[in-house]
Amino acid sequence: MTIASYVFLIIGGLFYLLGGLGVLRMPDTFNRIQAGTKATTLGAFSILIGVALANPVWSWISKIIIIIVFIIISNPIGSSAIAKATYNSKNIPDNLVQDALKERGEE
Amino acid sequence: MKNLFGLLLSLVLGAFIILALNNTAAFPAFGEVDLADRVSEQYFTDGNVAEVGSANIVTAIVVGYRGFDTLGEVTVLFISALGVAIIFGEKKQERLDLKFKPNFMLRVGSRVLFGMILITSIYIIFHGHLTPGGGFPGGAIIASAVLLLYLTDDRFRSNVKGFKILEGIAGSLFVVIGLLGLVLVTSFLQNFLPAGTVGDLLSAGIIPIIYVLIGLKVGSEISGIVDNFLTEEESA
Repeated sequence: MTIASYVFLIIGGLFYLLGGLGVLRMPDTFNRIQAGTKATTLGAFSILIGVALANPVWSWISKIIIIIVFIIISNPIGSSAIAKATYNSKNIPDNLVQDALKERGEE
Repeated sequence: MKNLFGLLLSLVLGAFIILALNNTAAFPAFGEVDLADRVSEQYFTDGNVAEVGSANIVTAIVVGYRGFDTLGEVTVLFISALGVAIIFGEKKQERLDLKFKPNFMLRVGSRVLFGMILITSIYIIFHGHLTPGGGFPGGAIIASAVLLLYLTDDRFRSNVKGFKILEGIAGSLFVVIGLLGLVLVTSFLQNFLPAGTVGDLLSAGIIPIIYVLIGLKVGSEISGIVDNFLTEEESA
């Protein structure tokens, strides 16, 4: 159980590292959002699951479930809001292949 | 050269942190921290516990021994909220326009998050006498939940009048509890309830009651300030 928890913690730390690296290295805003939020969502999950496995008592697991639900909701919503704001502020990269929002005619 | 220096610096810092956290005397093994050993060890051995009964020494001082100062602090916050309300004008009717219209997902999702943030704030307020936290941070978290709704919904408007009534009731109940201490025991804001078992949710006499009142008061005050900043007078 302890080894499994450490494995999850290391995986989570690795995802956080990759997310931070992606924010630094990606060329434009949309790619940075991708790296910054998707990687850290998974990283946070792994770290929380690792913590839950380290001490599987109900008082910890219940709090961890609440935190995971919070991240499940807040992280995608935040990234979508950033992406929409980026789009609305006309900060669109030149190499955009398909613009579904424009094709649907939404603002 | 600069990158090399940065790498070296972060490696040294990382090694320093790992070495500092590996010192097992100061940093117990993972998952085996007993809060009572760490936060309040000296406090437990002192024997003041019977007097206050709060597991968190900061709370014991802030609300137990220095309750009158806390009343003054709450008053300071009240006066600053009043100042904001006077400067921005009293008759607020319209929301300020947001630059971008928030979409459906943002509105609904933030409403779900609102409930979770409120639960967290209630937890922090009720555990003020057991763990770090209490009325002031809990109230600030309530206000941050309200701010979230204001930012993600361009038509949302909280019940400002209700907030004002709640604030008044919480503030006066704080003073009433202080006066009860004066009547039932000897001095203002003195503990007149049994201290109970240290570490229980219902312990430490009047401290949890006062912290719930402070949480409500701070939360409604800061929410009122948020409302003041995000509304404008009706353009007739």
